[in-house]
Amino acid sequence: MKNKIIMFWAIVILTIISIVIIRVKPIPLGLDLVGGSRIVLEAQTTDTIAKITQDMMDGLKAALENRVNALGVSETMVQQMGEKRLLIEIPNISDPKLAREFLGETAQLEFKKPILDETNNVRGYEPSGLSGDDLNKAEIGTDPAGRWLISLDFNAKGASKFAALTREFIGKPIAIYFNGSSISEPVVQQEITGGKAQITGEFSLEEAKKIVDLLNAGALPVPAKIIEENTVGPTLGADSLHKSKFAGIAGIIAVMIFMIAWYRVPGFIANIALIIYSLIVFAIFKMVPVTLTLAGIAGFILSIGMAVDANILIFERTKEELKSGRTLFTAINSGFDRAFTSIFDSNMSTIIICVILYYLGSSIVKGFALTLAIGVIISMFTAITVTKNLMHLMFGTGQLKHPGMFGLKESDINEAYTASETQREKAKFGVLD
Amino acid sequence: MSYSVLNTKKFIDVIKYRWLWLGISFIFLLPGIIAMLWSVKTYPTHAPLLVGIDFTGGTIIQYAVQQEVSTSDIGKIRLDLSKNGIDNPVIQVLKPVTAENDNAIKNLISIKTKFSENGQNETIDKVGNVISSDYQGAELVQVTSVGPVLGKQLFVNSMIAVSLALLAIVIYLTVRFHFEFAVVAFLALLHDVLFTAGVFSLLGIFCGVTVDSLFITAILTVLGYSVNNTIVVFDRVRENLKFYSKKATYNEIVNASVNQTLARSINTSLTTLLTLGSLYFLGGVTTKDFVLVMITGVIAGTYSSIFFANTLIALWHELQEKKQKKAAN
Repeated sequence: MKNKIIMFWAIVILTIISIVIIRVKPIPLGLDLVGGSRIVLEAQTTDTIAKITQDMMDGLKAALENRVNALGVSETMVQQMGEKRLLIEIPNISDPKLAREFLGETAQLEFKKPILDETNNVRGYEPSGLSGDDLNKAEIGTDPAGRWLISLDFNAKGASKFAALTREFIGKPIAIYFNGSSISEPVVQQEITGGKAQITGEFSLEEAKKIVDLLNAGALPVPAKIIEENTVGPTLGADSLHKSKFAGIAGIIAVMIFMIAWYRVPGFIANIALIIYSLIVFAIFKMVPVTLTLAGIAGFILSIGMAVDANILIFERTKEELKSGRTLFTAINSGFDRAFTSIFDSNMSTIIICVILYYLGSSIVKGFALTLAIGVIISMFTAITVTKNLMHLMFGTGQLKHPGMFGLKESDINEAYTASETQREKAKFGVLD
Repeated sequence: MSYSVLNTKKFIDVIKYRWLWLGISFIFLLPGIIAMLWSVKTYPTHAPLLVGIDFTGGTIIQYAVQQEVSTSDIGKIRLDLSKNGIDNPVIQVLKPVTAENDNAIKNLISIKTKFSENGQNETIDKVGNVISSDYQGAELVQVTSVGPVLGKQLFVNSMIAVSLALLAIVIYLTVRFHFEFAVVAFLALLHDVLFTAGVFSLLGIFCGVTVDSLFITAILTVLGYSVNNTIVVFDRVRENLKFYSKKATYNEIVNASVNQTLARSINTSLTTLLTLGSLYFLGGVTTKDFVLVMITGVIAGTYSSIFFANTLIALWHELQEKKQKKAAN
């Protein structure tokens, strides 16, 4: 009895700790609940880049982090997935269109020098070696006529390259390419040594701004393509969150009503265990922390159904034992003992599935697997330890005086007593016959 | 008559009516199997189910609108989209089951089109123009897009996951139970997966419901649940065999075990269905199909753990006894 009281207080303390954790720590919500963009980019090999190295991926990641930050949204995330993919998450984004444009663009700025024929006519352009990598920064500005222009500020190396280029081609056109297409082809008037240049063209404000932002964020060391995207608007996110919460609470209440209706007092105890279960699971979600997504909530709600399964198994078994004439204490104990192998084996199979899903699934699937697995493991504790403890404390020992407490009829129990004396003796020693 | 567990009231006789129980399984599995065969033959993907963009690659653009959308409206949207250069769009209207307040989303128009590597924004703009010209206040709520290469990879991964899960469960069952139990539990599991897949194959044919990686997740969960249910009954058979194998026939023991665990089987399914049902009827639009897969699977799993698995295990045992007798003669 002493052990049981210690256990009881341990459960109470654990519950209080869980409540405190839930009150104190916020739970991170997934993009499908708050709204936002989730984009997967894949680095592409080209004629010049035969293999994607880890260095390139690091460079790509850094460049993309700059770009994502340029969007001016907080709590963004860039993370490498596998060998050549990056996962980018941008919550609360007002314009996913911009993100899509921003992330996919390589932002390759190139100065090209003219190829001249014998009569000094321009036949085409070839790379000059001066590129966006040589930039200090880019700024947006206007010329006297009020047109948008982009002013470039080269670093020291870039400045000397630019000076050499302009010295060589005075009176000739050079071409400025952005992402493979020519945006301006000015004719060089004189050598420019200050390391500053201006690109004038027919830009709209948006175009000019985008080019400047991209140039400042830095070019991507390797081209990257969007291979997966999921953008959820804030309305849908809020709608999903609200409805899932509502559905979860309604589901728990329905299960609780069922448990009391069918199992009476033990059902009530199972409900207390279920509440403790929910509190502990949520506290663990916050500790890990598990980012709560729609699929994750579904996993949690499903685990409630499974958590009461253990109690159903135990109570059905206890009822059977009571019917065969056992004392309360033994009936409760053997109900737990005999149901345990079933509970263990069946929960193991669910955990095996969760492990496989966690390792092979996409991030949505991972969330589901994680919440379900945590739920199943915790339910083994609450449905067995907590319920058993409360049952013993409540019912104590002796014969069951009110079969109605277990949802049993007097006649169910009486049948057991009509059995011969030896049968009753046998039952006490655990042989069920 | 002395009190005996074996004399418990029998609500269901899985031995006497075994052909009836197997027949019911067969009747319910058949339409789904036919649907899957038809799908394999008819669909360009040669898949038994209508696969979604997760596996084929593609883009889905969803708009929330407050107005009702009828079938003829969908036809008009399709025509307008084709005029604007969106080829072969697949248009669906998703409705939440309940919309309890005015702010809740009433209808979702979902437009599926090809994956475009560069013209994504252009596609979205075009679709947006068409939708907002017909529906005032339409709001772009979701864009999902998957490249074709990634789609193939996701598909392969899913298949690996399913195969691994099946293998792991068979190994686990063989370790914990007899081999014959493992085989029968495996067959029960196939029964449930086949039924669920069949239902969704039919839904694909008649309602255009597609399956994605969440579907695979749901199927795997169903798989775990199905084994879970079967284990509970088999665990009882195993226990009763220990105590009564001398006093009762195998068939009697199986029958008694099913009836002893009947209340549990039904109650567990009920509580799980209560939570799944509340998710289906009250939860968000986006998880509806996911939940429906599990509801279908849980129903199939409950049936198979009560009727299908036990009928089979008794049959298996009978056949083996016959064999032994023959060998003895």
